[in-house]
Amino acid sequence: MKILMLGWEYPPHISGGLGTACEGLTTALARRGIEIDFLVPRLFGEEDAPHMQILGAASADSMPGARTPAPTPVQVPLAPHDPLSRLITAEPALATDPIFTAAAEAEAARAGAAALGEPGVRMIQVPAMLKPYLDQKTYRELIATGALHETAIAEILASKILHPLPGPPGEMTRLEHAHVPGADFSYSQESSSGAHYGEDLFSEVARYAMSATRRVQGRKYDLVHAHDWMTFPAGVEIAHRAGAPLLVHVHSLEYDRAGHGADRDIVSVEHQGLEAATRVIAVSYYTRNLISRVHGTSLDKISVVHNGVYARETVQAYTEQRSSKGPVVLFLGRVTFQKGPEYFVQAAARVLEQVPDAVFIMAGSGDMLPRMKAMVEELGITKSFRFPGFVRGAELERTFSTADVYVMPSVSEPFGIAPLEAMSYDRPVIVSKQSGVSEVLRNALKVDFWDVDKMASQIVALLELPELRRVIVERAREEIRHIHWDAAAETLIPVYESVLRG
Amino acid sequence: MPSVCFYFEVHQPYRLKPYGALQVGRDHNYFDEKLNAEVLRKVAKKCYLPANESMLRLIERTDGRFRVSYAVTGVAIEQMKLYAPEVLDSFVRLAKTGAVELIAETYYHSLAALYDKDEYGEQIEMELKLIKSEFGQVPRVFRNTELIYNDEIGQLIADQGFDAMIIEGADDVLDWRSPNFVYRVPGREMKLLAKNYKLSDDIAFRFSNKAWADYPLTAEKFAGWVHGQSGAGDVINLFMDYETFGEHQWKETGIFDFLRRLPDLLFTHPHWDILTPSQVIDRYPALGELPFHRTVSWADEARDVSAWQGNAMQQRALAEIYSLGSAVRRRNNSHLLALWRRLQTSDHFYYMATKSDSDAAVHDYFSPYDGPYDAFIHYMNVMKDLNLSVLAPAEKQIRL
Repeated sequence: MKILMLGWEYPPHISGGLGTACEGLTTALARRGIEIDFLVPRLFGEEDAPHMQILGAASADSMPGARTPAPTPVQVPLAPHDPLSRLITAEPALATDPIFTAAAEAEAARAGAAALGEPGVRMIQVPAMLKPYLDQKTYRELIATGALHETAIAEILASKILHPLPGPPGEMTRLEHAHVPGADFSYSQESSSGAHYGEDLFSEVARYAMSATRRVQGRKYDLVHAHDWMTFPAGVEIAHRAGAPLLVHVHSLEYDRAGHGADRDIVSVEHQGLEAATRVIAVSYYTRNLISRVHGTSLDKISVVHNGVYARETVQAYTEQRSSKGPVVLFLGRVTFQKGPEYFVQAAARVLEQVPDAVFIMAGSGDMLPRMKAMVEELGITKSFRFPGFVRGAELERTFSTADVYVMPSVSEPFGIAPLEAMSYDRPVIVSKQSGVSEVLRNALKVDFWDVDKMASQIVALLELPELRRVIVERAREEIRHIHWDAAAETLIPVYESVLRG
Repeated sequence: MPSVCFYFEVHQPYRLKPYGALQVGRDHNYFDEKLNAEVLRKVAKKCYLPANESMLRLIERTDGRFRVSYAVTGVAIEQMKLYAPEVLDSFVRLAKTGAVELIAETYYHSLAALYDKDEYGEQIEMELKLIKSEFGQVPRVFRNTELIYNDEIGQLIADQGFDAMIIEGADDVLDWRSPNFVYRVPGREMKLLAKNYKLSDDIAFRFSNKAWADYPLTAEKFAGWVHGQSGAGDVINLFMDYETFGEHQWKETGIFDFLRRLPDLLFTHPHWDILTPSQVIDRYPALGELPFHRTVSWADEARDVSAWQGNAMQQRALAEIYSLGSAVRRRNNSHLLALWRRLQTSDHFYYMATKSDSDAAVHDYFSPYDGPYDAFIHYMNVMKDLNLSVLAPAEKQIRL
């Protein structure tokens, strides 16, 4: 079976959990004989994926050391009704002009040389490919006035891919939450997210759809598997042209990230992808239900494939390096609506009534951080709180290792890999029931994110009852060994097979 | 002339409400009255009332040749009085037929046998008094909580003057012996009736299991298996939870039809009859002594006490409740004593078990909580409140 997978990123250059998930899933699939071409917007040259062919949509390069070189492209005539055809034919230079190739090669060269995350590099490339006639000055003006957003999105919306939902279009500048699609490793991306995805996400999505379509022209696939909304337009287009079934894989929904503040255009892209897909894969039953509720997709069409984690040895280091006398309760993740930081603060206030020397660490940054600091002050518990900001590397390991309890109070978490990370440090965890990971974990405490009394009670219990900690940690250590990508692949392959059977 | 002996367990615990850390020091009502009432009424409707009705008709129709025995815990009888008195009435009617034997256990369905021998004796005394007053019977036969048994418990119960005790017929304990004979406690006259777990579990656990090779289990088939044991023993002991009828095995599975038809089919073989435990021990001599090299129960695959003491949480909770014994007694307050004893009911610890696979499914089935960790948290919060508020120095005590 040969499949085309459309991704948005691949390790080591990742901004969220999506790249990690793709690595784990493709590795396990390849081990089971599935042949995979994996397409990302760009390659950095450091991707290590010997198990498959990894392609950068924007360049003619395939991954060095990959199995097969790209065959000579076979020109597929554009059907006039093709969703992307208008956009592409409107840009004849893009389809045929050597400038396109030159620009792409220049991009690859720059990307390899330039420091990752330097905004100037990529932001020039994107419009340069969409609008090769724009000069840098005009481009900067357009960015400054916001006109470029409108232009790029207008072009996407003009195509058949997107039918915006009724109502006013979302505010284009309010896309910060979309910087980290599919992100579970929220603590690892703050500094690079803006640079990585840029402000002009929609034009990137459009560019990816176009260049991906060109990139795989003439190749034959049994099916097309697209990960999250950014790749859906590309998936829809390619599957349509190839006459292959489309699977769309939902790692997170716009609703998860923004709740009722969801960006309508992103929701619309999601919706089109879900409609066009032969089958939808959700990372949890929680997400399956949410997809059905938000988009009206029939539950029969949605299969659940839980994420895995890489087996890793538990980390015992740092446990003695405590910086505080009292027991430590940890929140670690983006401080955003989705992660439910305010429920952590409210629970903390209740815990302190019972365990006055407890210390609460809210590690991470995000748009709700100032509000959380103000809330802590209002509650008069500033002395019991630490806000170390974004932590990484050794500091991240130390933070996990010195915590007595890890809490993930997410309001809406499609899967949520961070609790598994905490468990690998032998930390007992509390997860909200509004998370996919709560479906696969037996040895964690579970609570509704809004039930702060119960959350507090669970924290107190973990701090006061060594037997509870011991039993949970011992059993969790065993449990996380069974949450691996091989299990995910074994669930996914029968889904592929059933799609191919029709 | 071989016999079949039926014994059914009737028990309902006082379940704790979800008792959070923030309630400690504020809320001294520990039990979930609403849930307990709901469960009792539900089980009454699905099992106790229709099953008692079936038993009564069978006894009448067979002129008392169909016989059964029950152990009904004190806490179950208390809750019947509170929430469904008609259930207790129907048990009393059964007890008066002469074909129904009440057997004894601990009033609180507790693990006191393993932790506090004086307390164990008192809970047995309480149950004996209750059975005498409610049913007018004096039990001669005893069953310990969940058939938990070892040599020491055998000696304790023999000391209490019982004539026989009901036990699990675990393979490794019986060894080469058949469960279909009567045995006795080493060095004592007290007899032991071993559960035939294969035939008992065919009804209790496998009756509606479509993956089972012998599904569907008809009364004909089962009677045939019993008759097939002719010449291979004196008695086939079929011991199970009474909730097997209508609750664990729903009415829709045909379990009541099975029950209605089984006695007549058993009687088609002229040698077989149906006896109560006392009749069994009066008729059949003990074949020999039956020593136990370990503590056995009828729970889980392991058939040991790991269902209640298998992990550190359960051990802590048990140590905690039994450590309060002398403090509770010193208060000399009957309400406090009853409260302490309700917290000893084995179900509380059963909910805290961290078993895997099929065992976990059974524990989850019975548990009113989100899993073993919540069960432990609620229980320990209650312990904390009991210590702080109830057993505190006199000036801080609250009135019960």
